[in-house]
Amino acid sequence: MSQSVRYRPSFLAWLISLFSGVGGLIVKLMMLCILNGITGWAIIVLFTQERVIWALGTTAVLASIDFIYLVPNRFLPAKFILPGSVLLVAYLIVPIFFTINTAFQEYSTGHVLTKAEAIQTNLEQNAVQGDRYFRMAPARDSSGALVLVLVDDSTGDAFIGRRSGLEEIDPTTVEVDDFGDILPPTGYSALIGDEFFEIDAELAAFEVPLENGGVVRTEGLSGAYDSAPGFQFDPTSGALVASDTGVEYLDNGRGSFESADGEQLVVGWREYIGFDNFTAVITNPLVRQPFLRAFAWTIGFAGSTVLLSFAIGLFLAKVIDKQNLRGKKVYRSLLVIPYAIPGFLSLLVFKGLLNDDFGLINKLLPFDPPWLFDPWWARLSVIMVSVWLTTPYFLLVCMGALQSIPTELVEAARVDGAGRWQVFRKVTLPLLMVVVTPLLIASFAYNFNNFNNVYLLTGGGPTTEDQSVAGATDILISYTYKLAFESGKGQDYGLASAISIYIFFIVAAMSASGFLRSKALENMK
Amino acid sequence: MKKQLAKLVAGLTVAALASLSVPAVSGAATTLRIWTDADRKASVEKVARVWGKKKGVTVTVVQKDFGKIRDDLKTVDTATAPDVIVGAHDWVGELAANGSIIPLTVSKSVAAKIPSYSLDAFSYANAKGNKVLYGAPVALENVGLVVNTRVAKVPTSFDDMVKQALAFQKKAAGNFGLVIPGGDAYHNYPLFSGLCGYVFGKDAKGNLNPNDVGVGNSKLLANAGAIDSWNKTGLLSSKVDYGIAKNAFLAGKAAFWVTGPWEKDTLDKSGLKVKIVQMPKNKCDSVPFLGVQGFMVTKFAKTHKVESQARDLVGSYMMSAGAQTQLSSENGRAPANIDAAAKITDPLLKQFAAAGKGGVPMPNIPEMSSVWGDLGTAWTNVFKGSDATSAKTAFRTAGKNIVAKIG
Amino acid sequence: MSDPTNRYNDHWWRHLVVWLAVCVAVLPPLYVVTAAFNADQTLSGSSLIPRALTLENFKGLFVQKEGGAEVFFVRWFRSSLIIAVLNAFFTVFIGALAAYAFSRFRFKGRRMGMLFLLLIQMFPGLLNLVAIYLIVLRTGEVVPALGLNKLTALLVVYLSGAMSVNLWLMKGFFDSIPAELDESARVDGATPAQIFWGVILPLAVPVLSVVGMFAFVGTLNEFITASVLLETVDNFTLPLGLQAYVGTSYEENWGSFAAGVLIAQIPAIIGFVFVQKYIISGLTQGSVKG
Repeated sequence: MSQSVRYRPSFLAWLISLFSGVGGLIVKLMMLCILNGITGWAIIVLFTQERVIWALGTTAVLASIDFIYLVPNRFLPAKFILPGSVLLVAYLIVPIFFTINTAFQEYSTGHVLTKAEAIQTNLEQNAVQGDRYFRMAPARDSSGALVLVLVDDSTGDAFIGRRSGLEEIDPTTVEVDDFGDILPPTGYSALIGDEFFEIDAELAAFEVPLENGGVVRTEGLSGAYDSAPGFQFDPTSGALVASDTGVEYLDNGRGSFESADGEQLVVGWREYIGFDNFTAVITNPLVRQPFLRAFAWTIGFAGSTVLLSFAIGLFLAKVIDKQNLRGKKVYRSLLVIPYAIPGFLSLLVFKGLLNDDFGLINKLLPFDPPWLFDPWWARLSVIMVSVWLTTPYFLLVCMGALQSIPTELVEAARVDGAGRWQVFRKVTLPLLMVVVTPLLIASFAYNFNNFNNVYLLTGGGPTTEDQSVAGATDILISYTYKLAFESGKGQDYGLASAISIYIFFIVAAMSASGFLRSKALENMK
Repeated sequence: MKKQLAKLVAGLTVAALASLSVPAVSGAATTLRIWTDADRKASVEKVARVWGKKKGVTVTVVQKDFGKIRDDLKTVDTATAPDVIVGAHDWVGELAANGSIIPLTVSKSVAAKIPSYSLDAFSYANAKGNKVLYGAPVALENVGLVVNTRVAKVPTSFDDMVKQALAFQKKAAGNFGLVIPGGDAYHNYPLFSGLCGYVFGKDAKGNLNPNDVGVGNSKLLANAGAIDSWNKTGLLSSKVDYGIAKNAFLAGKAAFWVTGPWEKDTLDKSGLKVKIVQMPKNKCDSVPFLGVQGFMVTKFAKTHKVESQARDLVGSYMMSAGAQTQLSSENGRAPANIDAAAKITDPLLKQFAAAGKGGVPMPNIPEMSSVWGDLGTAWTNVFKGSDATSAKTAFRTAGKNIVAKIG
Repeated sequence: MSDPTNRYNDHWWRHLVVWLAVCVAVLPPLYVVTAAFNADQTLSGSSLIPRALTLENFKGLFVQKEGGAEVFFVRWFRSSLIIAVLNAFFTVFIGALAAYAFSRFRFKGRRMGMLFLLLIQMFPGLLNLVAIYLIVLRTGEVVPALGLNKLTALLVVYLSGAMSVNLWLMKGFFDSIPAELDESARVDGATPAQIFWGVILPLAVPVLSVVGMFAFVGTLNEFITASVLLETVDNFTLPLGLQAYVGTSYEENWGSFAAGVLIAQIPAIIGFVFVQKYIISGLTQGSVKG
């Protein structure tokens, strides 16, 4: 490629063009080798972990990647798209499937365990505690079996607790050391050091049966108490049965144990529940009532943010885009500063600036608009701040894109006698739009779900006239977040997933239709 | 060309493979892992080491963002999961419903040293309506009324406080009488309880009842006119946020400030003369919300086979006066243990603790997540100045919305 | 685009307009600057002119306070820089590869592929992080370097969007590079890879710079993904570390945070000044036309 040298406009470009020769080939091979090395390693590890299907799958993927890159002159598009696609699938597409999968589950506060764990947890939480508490020391008897040396906290009676039962002993044989821990009587040896680790599970599960049907259970390393089961699990019916009342709690198919009169146990499990989350979104009056208003505002917010940012960005780009404008470089750097500060910090600063009584903006203005307290002013504030945050992006994009517009077209139009404005409208803008339309759409979609801007600035507030749960500046995503995470018992991942999917379809449909109507797709040569 | 390429790749691959070292196999889990937040890390480390030394247990303390302790517990991998966490009492309902933490039993002698309300704060009712304990309370925090004694006297009554505040406010432009962060349900709670508002009522067994929401209760609504008058006189404004309130008070431009012990160091350094008391009784006692922090044993302690150790650490050692005194001195909060609390010498800490007398632990049932947003909105709306919503409407609506959200 | 005959290029109104815009653009960041030097540790309550000037906020970033949390500022800064540079580089690389394919090759599913890549970004990522966490967790069991608490894993996750996010921007630019250039190179016997490296990329430096800049600054400021994947304080990136250092709830020391952010912006600003000339370096320079 001796020719390329002629085109190089800069050092950087020259550097890049070096890769078009042998250097590029070497880099490619090295990268392929590193990939093979790491993945090969991973495959070996997968085999040793006996995850055979994963190992084989990884092997197949690796083999096809190698194949694609080592066969010359075939699969050309694949060679270029593959690096991005692999990462895209792994960390973007797979998570989406995860969300879709979650949408069909009851997965919320109280529904995170497996069913087996939920049964265990219910039995544990509902054990009925007696009124005896013992000081305890685990020990081994002469045969080496684990026993508990117990001293009743209130009466001072001493016992040896075995798996077979409780045996009373003379309390004077049991001594107490300086720390208040009890020492086992002669004939029994105390546990020390690592022994505690070895017996931990055994000790935690150790139960000394009592005559009344209850048991003495250990509590930590130095305590024990008597307890009786509050529930029994009946494996044949799959029900939890209350020991005192005999009420049966049956699996209700929605991840909970439920009694005949509809009482549910708090601890449930994760369960597939079909389309229930999707119908819950539609039937929930809290969703339906403010939906249209929130929806309209979301479109208004995203649309005006994008259009205003683009218009201002383009305008500023055109204004600066003059070769002999003094201070051009400084201007450019200053104008992209909003982009360099972390967004959440800017939002917090704006929140202070827009404060009604104490904010700088109202101190400078002759009148005091209630920026964050009146529904319409708050909406305006959210849009203004979003435009402030987004404009540098479009400024940069337009600065770059304006460069790509062939000068000869502009000059030809000038020669034909077109004025500046006409040249801009008839030549520059249409050419620019081809590049920018997809970006506008992507930005629209991004702002459609721009949770942060709303949440950090207004928290969705202020309240509207009808005082519904959705505030005046709540966009669909921030409002539904409130429903999924700030109502009921808090976290409802199943509902949140279903909502995500609904919103995706709304945005995707709108974007796709806007996109297909634009010329961007036709312009794909 | 093709063959050569393939050979080259194969050769280099082997080289790359060889250069990857075998990851060291980690030893069996014989350590106890504790998750704590940054503020408490040093003190927890110190205290837990003392225990670990005695029991022959290695303790690893992992620092996490406080809020993330609760979130990460849901997704954490068993291998790196904590056995014990530091947390707030109001997480207990959610964590217990998720089965993430396990019930504890404490001896009567230990329980006798811990005030029952803080034990209750760490308890959550089981299916039978019995209180089950899930954590060891170690530190208490609550807001108090901080009085700038150079410009105001400790108020003798609620009306006296209002009178003094308004008088100071009128003295000079830029003066504030009473500063409370606007729209914040936590800091405004003393006002709320003073007008007989409550969040959740209790059932016959003394457990919080999510179906009895007291945000719009009739007594509060009857007293709500007072809120409107505070708005009208400019005593309170939702435009005052935390930063404005803090700056105003520190600059000596506010007579009263509602805040908590987390500002103790700031107050110490401020050069102001302050006294902290409970907000004076209004129609009902103006008690603050109580926050209790403590230790909990996670379900992972079982899988890691350190359950007994973890229970011992949390259920007996962390409740002891010795451990709590140490934690308190490093962390600047009042200890839960009565003996340890008696040993506090720091005057401000003592006054904050006294200001919490009779306070209400923040509800720990998961339904509380439905409350914060709407209750906060109500406070924002009532102190909006000229276009404020009447308190009656605001709190009635908030109550209605909360009931709807709890479902 | 220059028009040397036009005398009005440097007209006063251009400066006026730009100065107005600059004022609006820098006002909130100015607050961050003053907060960094302000003795009051609040953001909203402080005024633009600090009550008392101090360098304590900066000092606190490097020297551990007595009894305070350990400070790893230099480490966080280094981690952030490394990851930002790598992310910018690979984002540009991966994006350019894909954009070249979509711009220059004709293959089945090309149009649908592009539309898909546009739409895929619209999926609300509310829960994606939970899934990403699990994926990284499992990957880490096999390849430790891609596991939790590893900066490499964070980088790889950042790169997952490299292809889709900037594809349209880059492809649009690539389209505007005259196809005759490829053609003449092909006639000379160049392979597609050689055309990509030798012809297209050197001409695409402006758009590569823009994309690289976005990725660089974006990484320096990214918080949420990092907070999910990185677990221990010594491995944090800068925003994460600052947040952990500043603390939560009401004790926020915004001053220290602002100071940290200011220092963090230095590379971003240097990067921009460096990249600026490439952004504007334009296609039309040199003898490309025709």
